[in-house]
Amino acid sequence: MRIVVLCSSEYSETACAMAVRMAKLGHVPVGALALSTLDRGTLLRKLGQWGVEDVIRYARAKLIPHRGHRQAQARNPYLQPWLKHGEEIFRTLREVAKFYGFSVAFCNDQNAPDSIARLREWSPDLIIFTGGNILRKQLLEVPRLGVLNVHLGLLPEVRGMSSPEWSLLNHVPAGVTLHYVDAGIDTGPLLQRCEFPDVAECESLSDLRNRLLAFGLEKAAEVIAGLDQGTISASAQSHRDEDRQFFVMHEWLQARAAERLTKSRRAAVAGTVNG
Amino acid sequence: MTGQIAKALTEATGLLRGPQRAVRLIQKLLSDKLQMIFEQRHLYSYARAERASGVALNSALRWILDAQRPDGGMAAYYSLLTGYSEPYPEVTGYIVPTLYDFARATGGEGAVVAADRATRWLLSLQMPTGAFPGGLHAGSHGEEAQPSVFNTGQILQGLVRAHIEANRPEILRAAVAAGDWLIHMQQADGSWSGPAAYQNVAHTYYSMVAWALAELSERAADDHHDYRDHELGLSYGLAAERNLDWVLSHFRPSGWIDGINLRGHPNYLHFIAYVLQGALECGILRRRSDAVEAVAKSSWVLLRKFETNKFLPGAYEPDFKNGQRFTCLTGNAQMSCVWLRLFEVTDDLRYFNAALKMNEMLKQLIPVRGPRGICGGVSGSYPIWGRYQPLRYISWGCKFFADALLLEQRLTGSFAVSGFEALPCAS
Repeated sequence: MRIVVLCSSEYSETACAMAVRMAKLGHVPVGALALSTLDRGTLLRKLGQWGVEDVIRYARAKLIPHRGHRQAQARNPYLQPWLKHGEEIFRTLREVAKFYGFSVAFCNDQNAPDSIARLREWSPDLIIFTGGNILRKQLLEVPRLGVLNVHLGLLPEVRGMSSPEWSLLNHVPAGVTLHYVDAGIDTGPLLQRCEFPDVAECESLSDLRNRLLAFGLEKAAEVIAGLDQGTISASAQSHRDEDRQFFVMHEWLQARAAERLTKSRRAAVAGTVNG
Repeated sequence: MTGQIAKALTEATGLLRGPQRAVRLIQKLLSDKLQMIFEQRHLYSYARAERASGVALNSALRWILDAQRPDGGMAAYYSLLTGYSEPYPEVTGYIVPTLYDFARATGGEGAVVAADRATRWLLSLQMPTGAFPGGLHAGSHGEEAQPSVFNTGQILQGLVRAHIEANRPEILRAAVAAGDWLIHMQQADGSWSGPAAYQNVAHTYYSMVAWALAELSERAADDHHDYRDHELGLSYGLAAERNLDWVLSHFRPSGWIDGINLRGHPNYLHFIAYVLQGALECGILRRRSDAVEAVAKSSWVLLRKFETNKFLPGAYEPDFKNGQRFTCLTGNAQMSCVWLRLFEVTDDLRYFNAALKMNEMLKQLIPVRGPRGICGGVSGSYPIWGRYQPLRYISWGCKFFADALLLEQRLTGSFAVSGFEALPCAS
């Protein structure tokens, strides 16, 4: 199967781990298209999103690695098995591409005509989306099968952003959904919905997110194997027309979601002790 | 057009009377320009204010108290050109509930005193018919006051609340007289038009009047000392619902509301939000789920726009198209109130989430420094030269901003009190 990885940055650990996982599955990507990291728009966006201090911290960690950095842990420890490469870890998609022998292209907009042209050159069966722009129709029509997204929540219950947090507050089980991307926000046909069994073990919201990313990566491998063997097919989402979109969660509500997570962890620990 | 130019020139001459204001004007123009250049709105982010909501609330209330004139009326605005305006009966009326809410939330006695002074001033303005005058207080100019349906409704809100808090018979009598006059002026279809309506035509944003009548009805029903009070309570409630039916008939399937009907003005968000607030509060009081659903639908359209663009434009064309580039901060604060109330009645946390973010954005845009009239004030538009109430800090903007923060405080507090298991969920 000809696979292309779309990502928001060449430094995306998720994209790196996804490319490695696909390669180990026997489907080395034919290419990867990443958004440029150092363009003005991205920089301003990150400043707005994270603030100046976090941007500087991130840039230092990424661009000016310390001695022995390559032996350091991945930021998401649950992706470590895929990012570990001998005694080192893959830091960029370029490093993964060099190791497995595929090309990485860069763009400022994944929907731009030259990006679409580049994707067409690769004539992919499947595009795996790990981050970037909201994808437009022209791009969605490039791959033979579709564009695969790993959504960090169960669909159709929780669409949109901050899905793990919204799941916690709305008593929806945490999980991931593998689906094809369509013109809506997380409304495309479903391939697999998987509840995440280890919520009670999560120590924080970021821990939950990290675990979900790794869980989703494994499930993506299963789905791609199934697509390759023809044992998995997509089905339209129920309640497609209902507005179940969620937006970025305010930090006050995030704190309530974190409390709920802590409470479920305590309940699980108490259950273990009592049981 | 000539009138508008003349008005602008008259305002500009205000700088001659207070040249010190020129510095503040230039400072504000520059700071808004700089802020616009550097602000980056992104789907994954939202504005974060450094000030806590409680601090912002205190400064908004300080602004309101400073705007109270010696006679007890509230100035309509503080202009960067002309300073404080004459007192404005309409705003003085509906700012009274905000003052009492603030006093309840914080124990601030100053707010109670201000509410009492405002109420006494309002009682002195009531016409023999029970109506209240429109426009700024013209007493000092000797102009003859004209009765206004909308202003009477808005003042009625304050009177009802003042009666609840102060329990003085003269306030109840004034409220009943205002309510009776509103019923007398109501058309058969439930609307208000004619000489006591703005530009002589009916407006859907008079749902705010329906809300006031529904409040009066509740109060009369609670108070029913005798059979007549009970009958009166019913008649106010029925009048409120007649108007509510008329307003709801103007909601389009897209969520847009027709009938704002302001000739010579765009459909400012402030008036759209008025329709929604009035219909929602009246719907809640009258237990009309159809009204709540209609308001929820329109509010959801605006919520999506806010979540995507991180602000709501100051004015729209029908079906919420072609939003203008400036922001009407008052309308944004009103929508925060609408979303918070919708969260209360629907348990959908997405409304609460949007309101929290809206309040953050507003807090970020309120001046933390400056002299009286500026510090803690809510400008008509952002940037300050935007089309809605340009170069002014307006008292009703402050009122709705304070309402939004008070609601936020109450709802976040009730989360803590009610405990974790009671956390409401979206369906």
